[in-house]
Amino acid sequence: MLSLIEISRRRLQFGLIASIFALIAYLILMINGLGAGLNELAGSALLNMDADAIAYSENAGLSVIRSELSQAMVDAVGPATGARATAPLAYVAATYRLEGKQPDSVALLGYDPGTIAEPPVTAGRALTAADTRGALADKTFLDQTGLKIGVTVTVNQRLEQVQLTIVGEIDEGAFFFQPAVYILRPTLLDLKYGATDPASRPVASIVLVQGPERSGVLGEIEVVDKQTAFANIEGVSGQSATVRSLQVFGFLIGTMVIGVFFYVLTLQKEGQIGMLKAVGASNRYVMQQLLLQVGTIAVLGMLVAIPLAVLTERSLKSGSAVVPVSLSAELIAVTTVLLLVTSIVGALFSMRKVLAVDPIIALGRQQ
Amino acid sequence: MPEPLVSVTHLTKTYESDGNEVQAVRDVSFSMEAGEFLAIVGPSGSGKTTLLAMLGGLLTPSSGSIIVAGREISTLPPRARAGYRRTTVGFIFQQLNLFPYLTARENVLLMRAIGACGPDATRQADQLLAELGLKERANTQVSRLSGGERQRVAIARALMNDPAIVLADEPTSNLDSVRGAQVVRMLIDECKARNKLTVMVTHDREMADMADRILEMHDGHLTGVLAGSAAG
Repeated sequence: MLSLIEISRRRLQFGLIASIFALIAYLILMINGLGAGLNELAGSALLNMDADAIAYSENAGLSVIRSELSQAMVDAVGPATGARATAPLAYVAATYRLEGKQPDSVALLGYDPGTIAEPPVTAGRALTAADTRGALADKTFLDQTGLKIGVTVTVNQRLEQVQLTIVGEIDEGAFFFQPAVYILRPTLLDLKYGATDPASRPVASIVLVQGPERSGVLGEIEVVDKQTAFANIEGVSGQSATVRSLQVFGFLIGTMVIGVFFYVLTLQKEGQIGMLKAVGASNRYVMQQLLLQVGTIAVLGMLVAIPLAVLTERSLKSGSAVVPVSLSAELIAVTTVLLLVTSIVGALFSMRKVLAVDPIIALGRQQ
Repeated sequence: MPEPLVSVTHLTKTYESDGNEVQAVRDVSFSMEAGEFLAIVGPSGSGKTTLLAMLGGLLTPSSGSIIVAGREISTLPPRARAGYRRTTVGFIFQQLNLFPYLTARENVLLMRAIGACGPDATRQADQLLAELGLKERANTQVSRLSGGERQRVAIARALMNDPAIVLADEPTSNLDSVRGAQVVRMLIDECKARNKLTVMVTHDREMADMADRILEMHDGHLTGVLAGSAAG
């Protein structure tokens, strides 16, 4: 194969070309990864919940912050939705302060052990009903703060304060741009509402619903699927639009650069193409060689860009600074396919040029 | 008298240049036989390369006819002309147009890649390279070959598709006279041995004298036909 031999013999030239492709692909992967990371930070804990739908109080406007449910409303969710299983979940933002550091916030999520709201524990142990001062903290939060299982942290909410001991590690991500920390629901309610009469205060913020048969406004509650719930997290829709715009612009500019790049590569081959056509090579043969070369360069570039992006992701995640980045296998696969297709399309744009190359140029345009 | 392999009749090529018509070849007629070695000479701009390009199916004539082995090639559509070049013509270009990153052997075998050779191409390529004294250099990249060696690779490539006609455009322009004469001698020997009709464009009278016949061109006209030293 002429085109593959050329790549193997002109390693420096094609190495540089593949490097430029790799850098552009790396840039696009990182823009996508950072965008996905930012979205995850907004509420990956909600997306990771073992539920198909979320129930809010009807007057909350799908806001977890505004939603407050009484015991009667929580009890009504199951019959109203016809769900397989339900579980109440309470939320409050709280602050903590590590020695010598600025105060920071965490998303406290109160759940009942044994329900679908209970997160899977990846290290340590799960909470029992007796763990009124126990907490399950997100793995990334522990990595970034250096906190370990067994450590006790003081958490403040308004004027209330509670000492929580981390007994287990979870991998649930973030909620409202804060690391998720799961505690028992009664503990959270005490922290959130203070010394109010337990009989008169709300018992949950939302209810997780599995397998609902009905959704929408159902009496005093409103039930929506998890993606809708995620999109309605405060700030997510605006952020998502910005992130999507960044991704689209990054991809468009990157692919245009790649497309133009391969077009120029074709133009530089005019002499070679002219010679091949002069000795009788068909346009099909010439295009095959060109596409094979472009495809090979693109694959080589991706083979460099993907590990580079994954290494960068790991490096950013392992650092002390919080840089939200997430390169899922799906995101890498989609970006790779799009870039490979773009490269081929870029090369196909030069087809007209290839077809138009006059073989007479092999004779030096002499007349 | 054998049937001519190529008959050129009233051939004319007119170019449009800055709104003016330029007649590069004017009413040229001649014929050529298989196994003949013909040189076309003339000053720059005399139309010899244009004539060669028309014989090779690289340019279409404005008028006139070119019949090769009983087939009119001047009116062939582009795809058929590509097929004609692939199967009937062997080219040696002035700039050689070899691929510098390919070895001598790979350059010759390129003709197989474009579908111009049969299944025996590898053996044929090795034989041609050996005959042209390139056996030891067959696996050397063209960029590392001398000018004379490159010329011989170009000759081997031109013969790979077993063409009826070999067209050579100033094949020795980059060589000194001694090496140029050696290359032309080699070209004549190889083509004669295979009974190929060879047409060589040159401005060098000494090289032209090695041919069977010499066509002289001036301002697009065929101004004379002379016998070369190889004639008779």
